[in-house]
Amino acid sequence: MLARLAAEFYWLGRHAERIEHTARLLRFQLNRLPDRPVDELTLGWQAVYRILGQPSVSSNLDGDDAETVVIPDAYTLAGKLVEERANPDSLLSCWEHARENGQRVRAELPLPVWTCLNQGYLWIRDSDFTTAWTRGPSALVGEAVDRLHLLAGVVEAVMPRDEAWRFLELGRFIERLQHQAELLAGWVEFNREEAGASALSWADLLRVCSAYEVYCRRHSTNIERQQALGLLTQDPEVPRSLRFAAQRIARLLAGIDPVGARYPMAAPHRMALRLAASIEVEPTGLSGEAGEFFRSVAQDGRVLHDLTMAAYVTHTFPQELAT
Amino acid sequence: MSQLRAAGGGVFSGYDLDTRFYDEMFEPRGNPRAASRRLHAALAELVPEDLVKLQDGVYRHFLHEGITFTVLDADKATEQIIPIDCVPRVLTAAEWDHLERGLKQRLAALNLFLKDVYHEGRCLRDRIVPIDLVLGCPQYRMEMRGLKVPHDVYVAVCGTDVVRTHDGFAVLEDNLRVPSGVSYMLACRSAIKEAFPRLYRANRVREVSDYAELLYATLASLRPSQDTPNVAILTPGMHNAAYYEHAFLAGEMGIDLVEGQDLLLRDSGLYTRTTSGLRRVDVLYRRIDDDFLDPVHFRSDSVLGAAGLFHAYRAGNVVVANAPGTGVADDKSLYAYVPEIIRYFLGEEPILANIETHLCREPSSLAYTLEHLEELVVKEVGGAGGYGMLVGPHASADERARYAERLRADPANFIAQPVLDLSRAPCFIDGAIEPRHVDLRPFVLQGRDEQHVVPGGLCRVALRRGSLVVNSSQGGGCKDLWIVED
Repeated sequence: MLARLAAEFYWLGRHAERIEHTARLLRFQLNRLPDRPVDELTLGWQAVYRILGQPSVSSNLDGDDAETVVIPDAYTLAGKLVEERANPDSLLSCWEHARENGQRVRAELPLPVWTCLNQGYLWIRDSDFTTAWTRGPSALVGEAVDRLHLLAGVVEAVMPRDEAWRFLELGRFIERLQHQAELLAGWVEFNREEAGASALSWADLLRVCSAYEVYCRRHSTNIERQQALGLLTQDPEVPRSLRFAAQRIARLLAGIDPVGARYPMAAPHRMALRLAASIEVEPTGLSGEAGEFFRSVAQDGRVLHDLTMAAYVTHTFPQELAT
Repeated sequence: MSQLRAAGGGVFSGYDLDTRFYDEMFEPRGNPRAASRRLHAALAELVPEDLVKLQDGVYRHFLHEGITFTVLDADKATEQIIPIDCVPRVLTAAEWDHLERGLKQRLAALNLFLKDVYHEGRCLRDRIVPIDLVLGCPQYRMEMRGLKVPHDVYVAVCGTDVVRTHDGFAVLEDNLRVPSGVSYMLACRSAIKEAFPRLYRANRVREVSDYAELLYATLASLRPSQDTPNVAILTPGMHNAAYYEHAFLAGEMGIDLVEGQDLLLRDSGLYTRTTSGLRRVDVLYRRIDDDFLDPVHFRSDSVLGAAGLFHAYRAGNVVVANAPGTGVADDKSLYAYVPEIIRYFLGEEPILANIETHLCREPSSLAYTLEHLEELVVKEVGGAGGYGMLVGPHASADERARYAERLRADPANFIAQPVLDLSRAPCFIDGAIEPRHVDLRPFVLQGRDEQHVVPGGLCRVALRRGSLVVNSSQGGGCKDLWIVED
């Protein structure tokens, strides 16, 4: 397929995944608004912003009248991540970018996928955020997640498993790998910095990753750091585990790689296999250096991105006519 | 002027028939025309709320599928849903067959004209068309002089604007460069079929759904070799006003939608950059203007085209449709000579009439135009989209005076035509059915051996009461056109 279109499909997948990741974290924090103490909420906002790579926030929750500003403050902080056009990673901006990616590949995108993407964009563009905040703080981000699940379902149902689909999925899973690694690193490091505080519980981490139920079935309702991190790192059946994402990436790149799974493999394919293997063997959670490991996985994700772009999108052809 | 009420009551109760204008649905006495009877009867049974629901359904269909066009303002591009009216316009098969013959005749003659002006120039020597009008036209491309165009098809896709008055159909202008609007025709049809499934079936409407197939066959027939060709559409990108159409057509034909950055020249051939290497392009359906096609040969600051594209074209390794330089035949001054061109090249009388046109480059026409400015429509010869024109009767004295100054300063840049009594068709406006002025842009395809006209077209509507301007950028909308068997 056209190299430019491959990049657009890839970025469409990345932007959609980015929206979901931000919305999940926001939903976690907004769901805590009604009953958590002010200091926990403050800590929560700091964690959410740091994990999302956003500039650190100044909250009004430190003063004597903290209790009275807890809700308005939350809406301001959430608003920056949801509706602020100046923030390129806000839900609105990401949806706009995803739709632009979709528009650029519209000739190749099945109509139901485009319609679903477009309807999602129109929904968030036309949302009355002020009303949404007053009616129920987490409903808006919850709907964003639902709409993305719908999009993923439509993609799953109607897109042929061709190169376009592979690049779309590759974008999704590279984004997921990076974000999940940053999330785990942030959670580990934050808990270490805030030793003794229970603001960022391991149960919450599992809930953010839709893995709480599966954890309870596999282990118990007593959530242990080591087992929670193990599940989110190495379980091949949990969709938001690092291993799940890395294996998907390797399979997708095997499909994209012109030589398939044979030697000599393309650079991103080789890297993805190495990364998947390193995640599989890492005894995460047992080691005190888990945060460092997660950071290195996130960095590998960035390298994988660069290699993919270089191999399939920005590659040059000798003897081009100079323009 | 005499005014009557249309028959039917109900949603038609406020429908004023103005006998100055041909009404597409009603006879002068207010009875529905034979071909429109079924449609009229079905609509007359509806209450306004039903039509509101239908119109809303059609609007949502367009909104969700993102069927849009882009309006370029000074500082930004705004994406808009093209307004669609849910009441179809009806033509009889006999009317259509007449139109189709006329459109095919016109395109055949214009292709012969283009071949002639870029080769022998017989029609210039024989003074059928003034030589300075052709050679002085900014759209005349010296680069095309003497160049063999594959199968002599300069214009493969043509959109001809047709209007109807009491005197019958007439051609308002030919669009021979990058005519757009066909996707809206198809989208309208799809939405209206959904809105009126039974009525559509009962009327035995001629189908337009094979347009993409015919377009592909037309483009493929122009291929330089016998191999299965790689056909692509060249778009300026997603901010272009007609981007929806480019993407739609590429999707329907299953071909690549490429931008200039996707193309490169290698060994005098044109290639696309793919994830796994280079892929040769055989036929390029370009949807960008000549000026921007190739920065090496045309505008050097163009970033929309591809460097060397024209070189590959000249080498015969890629076919570009429509060919560069076709704009010389759709210049508004040249338009006045099309009937003569038909007679000269085909030896036939034109089937479709032209609108009376005054070329301001001629002193007598300029004098007439200046004298009758308040009765005429004056247009720039290279203008499009309804911009830069003066509608005399609707302009203020001050506007006319300013326009007259421009006319005197550069008369060759203007033509004048009488204000047309454009026909009117019923439209659903603010809860009732009211008449509005309409025109029609059918699309004609010219392949190596065959011509095709899909039985339909972009029917444009001036949605503002009394307005004659149908362009979507200026408050116009569109509606479906049904060709029904007699």
